[in-house]
Amino acid sequence: MRAWVVALLVSSALWACASTMEQTEGMDPSAVPPEQQADYAVFAQRCSKCHSLARPLNSGITDDGYWRMYVEKMRRQPGSGISENDRVPILRFLHWYSTSQKPKADGGS
Amino acid sequence: MTRAHAFFVATLLLALLGALWPGSARALDRTFAGSVQLGENVAPMEPSTNAGTQSFYGFTAELSGKLAVDLTEHVSANVKICYGCHGFETDMAYFDLRLNDELNVRVGRFSPSFGAFNLRHDPANHKLADKPLPYDMGRMLRMRDWNLGVLPSPFPNNGVEVDGAHWFGDTAEIEYAAYAVSGFKAQESALDLDFVEQHSLYYVENNNLPTGGGRVAMTLKLGPAVDLTYGASGMYGTYDPQNQFTYGIFGGDVWLRFGRTNVRAEWLMRRQTFDTSNQAALKYTVPPTGGDFFVKHGAYVEVEQPLGAGVDGILRADGLLRLGNIAAGSPLSNQATVLRYTLGTSIVIARGVRLKLSPELYQFNYSDANGRNLEVCLQTAVAGAF
Repeated sequence: MRAWVVALLVSSALWACASTMEQTEGMDPSAVPPEQQADYAVFAQRCSKCHSLARPLNSGITDDGYWRMYVEKMRRQPGSGISENDRVPILRFLHWYSTSQKPKADGGS
Repeated sequence: MTRAHAFFVATLLLALLGALWPGSARALDRTFAGSVQLGENVAPMEPSTNAGTQSFYGFTAELSGKLAVDLTEHVSANVKICYGCHGFETDMAYFDLRLNDELNVRVGRFSPSFGAFNLRHDPANHKLADKPLPYDMGRMLRMRDWNLGVLPSPFPNNGVEVDGAHWFGDTAEIEYAAYAVSGFKAQESALDLDFVEQHSLYYVENNNLPTGGGRVAMTLKLGPAVDLTYGASGMYGTYDPQNQFTYGIFGGDVWLRFGRTNVRAEWLMRRQTFDTSNQAALKYTVPPTGGDFFVKHGAYVEVEQPLGAGVDGILRADGLLRLGNIAAGSPLSNQATVLRYTLGTSIVIARGVRLKLSPELYQFNYSDANGRNLEVCLQTAVAGAF
């Protein structure tokens, strides 16, 4: 019984902390420029069906050729729902995202 | 040459053709990914005498690391190693030899295409700490009574699979898979499959007949943010060294996604024959005809709804139904049921890391040592992907 109470208390505390952090696995919409919003919407809708958006966003991939190959691989996953027409907006968003992350990775402003 | 051998030779030839197919010679592309989940199952009503045998209570870690290598545009290799309750397991070790979207040949060790859940079996890819009962691999209460779910996930096997998909315009996709794999195993005279042996160090087959199966599924894009996927799967084979006893696993699944809301439902059933020569090993008298098999059904319905920034709510109802004779001494009857109700939440702690909490209510149709039919537990876990 003691374990049950401890677990409930710890869980509640973690929940309370986590709830106040307001983290998301995708992008903060306000951080996405207006011209990228439509592409981001396709990316977020399609790429969150089977896995967390954190996987591509945290991957550190910056090479467009690599993204092309990777998105193609994901498109072929069973039930992915990623059609040929979805590829272009997804790749456009990933190109923008990779480019915008590069200065941070390089230590720039 | 048996049909199974002919199938193997044909797929091998296709595989070789795929390997020799001219592709653009990109340099080797490697992707490394992985996940970790640490879970704690708090089950205050479980009898202490059962501790450690009827469920995994204490900190349970599931770790995985996956390396994908693209050799050419048409050939890739994947290796995934998991560390879980059973120690190290090679969850994947295969080559994909792809001619085009419609024809891919997979050769090696992998979970053959079955159902919808297995695609998300990695703890980082499902938002509750445990799997639905039909696919349970040890987190359910009274797991030993039930010998786990209908098809504990993942279910890596050695073999060959031919699969592919075809899009009709931008709105409909049909996919298929057909495979021959080593199949499930058990010792001679066993009354059920031995899922522990399935994850033992020896990945060799215990008989000379493969298990065959397949899957057909369709995805319809009903709108810019609305998908409907439905499918049917089946596999059939023998599991004992003498190929005397068979199992057939069949299932249907449907997955509706609108916006970020997911509604999933799946049903599985396993019909399995077993040795009735030793009446003393069985709980019920074997009738002259028709008493040499059992059927185990499993189903779940799940709704996953974003509740706010980084917070998801998950509502799930699932259950198992086992019909047929069972080992003497088992607490289950010949019509055993368990229903489970889960109200879970999944909270993003940091991008890629989630906290999972889910109180669960179990309703069994038989009593435990303390005379209880109802039990509760709290599944907690922290899961991360990289």
